[in-house]
Amino acid sequence: MSDHLLNDLSLFAPETAITLTLVAAILADLIFRRTPLVVAALVLAGFVVTGLLLLGQTGVNASIFTGMIAVDSFAVFFKTIVVLAGILVVVFSMESGELNSPGRKLGEYYALLCAAALGMMLMAGASNLLMMYIAIELSSLSSYLLSGYTREAPDSSEASLKYLIYGAVSSGLMLYGISLMYGLSGSLDLRAINRALPQVLSGGGAASFTLLIAGVLALAGFGYKISAVPFHFWTPDVYEGAPITITAFLSVASKAGGFAMMIRFFKVTFIDAGAVALPAGTWATLQGFHWVDLVAILAVLSMTIGNLVAVWQNNLKRLLAYSSIAHAGYMLTGVVVLSNQGLAAIMVYFGVYLFMNLGAFYCVMLIADKTGSEDIDEYKGIGGRSPFLAVALAVFLVSLTGLPPTAGFIGKLYLFAALINSGWTWLAIVAALNSVIALYYYVRVFRNMFLRTEEPSSPGITLSWLQNAALVVLLVPTLLLGLYFTPLVQLAQASVRLFGTP
Amino acid sequence: MITDFGRVLIFLIVGVVFVAGGLIVAWLLRPNRPYPSKLATYECGEVPVGDTRVRFNVRFYVVALIFLIFDVEVVFLFPWAVVYKNLGWFAFIEMLVFLGMLAVGYAYVWRKGDLDWDKPAPKVPRYEKGIGVQETRMTEEEIAV
Amino acid sequence: MEIPLSYYLCLSVVLFVVGVAGVLTRRNAIVVFMCIELMLNSVNLTLIAFSSFLGSITGQALVFFAMAVAAAEAAVGLAIVIAIYRNKRTVDIDKINILKW
Repeated sequence: MSDHLLNDLSLFAPETAITLTLVAAILADLIFRRTPLVVAALVLAGFVVTGLLLLGQTGVNASIFTGMIAVDSFAVFFKTIVVLAGILVVVFSMESGELNSPGRKLGEYYALLCAAALGMMLMAGASNLLMMYIAIELSSLSSYLLSGYTREAPDSSEASLKYLIYGAVSSGLMLYGISLMYGLSGSLDLRAINRALPQVLSGGGAASFTLLIAGVLALAGFGYKISAVPFHFWTPDVYEGAPITITAFLSVASKAGGFAMMIRFFKVTFIDAGAVALPAGTWATLQGFHWVDLVAILAVLSMTIGNLVAVWQNNLKRLLAYSSIAHAGYMLTGVVVLSNQGLAAIMVYFGVYLFMNLGAFYCVMLIADKTGSEDIDEYKGIGGRSPFLAVALAVFLVSLTGLPPTAGFIGKLYLFAALINSGWTWLAIVAALNSVIALYYYVRVFRNMFLRTEEPSSPGITLSWLQNAALVVLLVPTLLLGLYFTPLVQLAQASVRLFGTP
Repeated sequence: MITDFGRVLIFLIVGVVFVAGGLIVAWLLRPNRPYPSKLATYECGEVPVGDTRVRFNVRFYVVALIFLIFDVEVVFLFPWAVVYKNLGWFAFIEMLVFLGMLAVGYAYVWRKGDLDWDKPAPKVPRYEKGIGVQETRMTEEEIAV
Repeated sequence: MEIPLSYYLCLSVVLFVVGVAGVLTRRNAIVVFMCIELMLNSVNLTLIAFSSFLGSITGQALVFFAMAVAAAEAAVGLAIVIAIYRNKRTVDIDKINILKW
């Protein structure tokens, strides 16, 4: 038994590393009270070590701790996204003027960031409903506190309260769904549920109706994490009120964890293992439970509502929040197609989304630290005053719209190709039309930045070398992946394998 | 034939009737001569002070929150104690790790001073533009009153 | 005599719905948290009932974790409410409305 356990522990090394970092950060905060940079450096090092340990896990396909957590290439991919986002956000936080105001203790902030990242990594690997629930709660509880971290700002504590109430309700709904699923199948393990489901579904209408209810309730939990309509109400408020660094972290890492968990839940639990005569790389769902249609409706609603409401926004942070809802919609279409191509498309999209979205939020942070405002009207003339920053922001926004030659185009291209290949042409058309709406509201920002000048021209925004370096680090992949995308696509195609599925 | 729950029901009914009956009979029989000190709230014979709905000091909440967390963690000790003999060293080390993490949290709370009852509130001098640091002075009207 | 499983399930559905309704209609943040606790406890009841009915222990394990998580959630929630009260001098959800649309 102990050999078995040691093997499991060695596969759990990245999570252990981040847990130790968390504990070390708490202790370091007690010892080095006056110098928060020590804690920041420690956490940064912890994230880097975790990333290196993750690199050592390529190609592993195993299930550890009696089926609680799966360590497969799919989980490793999403964990890597979370860790990269963590590293970048720690760097952002060291630079942020909003956070580094005098008198604020930042030790807890970095420790909580570690805890949130740990929760999101566990979400990516959880293959048991119990583990999923704990992982969601771990990441949520830390996120609630982080989004209210600048607690003297009324909008920050308000954001945190709203986040908490929506989060607690949707996790309650999800837990109810889990309990129903447990009652139907007698197990919390996803694969065991999958084995038990055919018998449950043959039991008649009542059983399959209960299963539908359970699935919808579970979807509430996932939908909240990825901020899909109609579970999106918290997103704009929290994104606007939270410190920008946290907004950036939530928009990428939390979404990555949520998507990984949702895909694993639906693919492992509802796959029809006995289905025959399917083209390679695709799979079928169990008869009698049409969750695909549900997810398709969610995708359309998220894209459309996210983009349409974004048009009316004047605060760039809030606009990006609605745009992130729309992006959740685009990515959901990749879940609908039920093929490895769709999953690979989602992963490519995430690989791209990491850089372009963090980049956009970083630019907003730099500008807000200097001008004290995130209002789009305040962006007038920034193109003339600080050209590099304005061009960088423009590139990130173009990429978010999905225009060539940026990386965002590649992400959308792969998604649309997957949709058309599997016959969901109408969904591809809806997504393409939505991108046009997105172009409209991003153009407003470009126009303010480059074509309008401020009447009393204010001084330009000077950036430190570290800020410039961070911008370049984000800018290069956003442009490069738009031109030379083969490695990312190959990585994604190699990472579609989930433990316990053919 | 009375089921087990039927007996519980009878027990409930008897309980309600016993209490309510006593109260009703007392209400019918007793003389009714109220005066203020008789109507006052009974506080062990002392004269009642202040309102019932006093606001608790916020420090109670902080201690309550900390207590809540550490109290609920005990829930994991019970199942552990049940299976401890079967799992041996593994369970022991696992629980040590768990309690170690709790201890780190406890040390953090302690060191940050959230357990100290007399945590001095930071006194921020009020600063207003053009006036400088303001001191509390009574105005003419207040002195007159 | 044994109580059928459906009784437990009906009771927990009623409790759950009361909790959801409370969250949706109550205006005091503290009461909203109490309603959320009610939701979680009704789920615990469902899980215990299923666990006993199916003769499997996993449901009870989940209840332990749900209890611990609920306590943590309550602690975080109250801490946030205290923070917001210091800012706004109110815990009325309808008055906590800087961020909208």
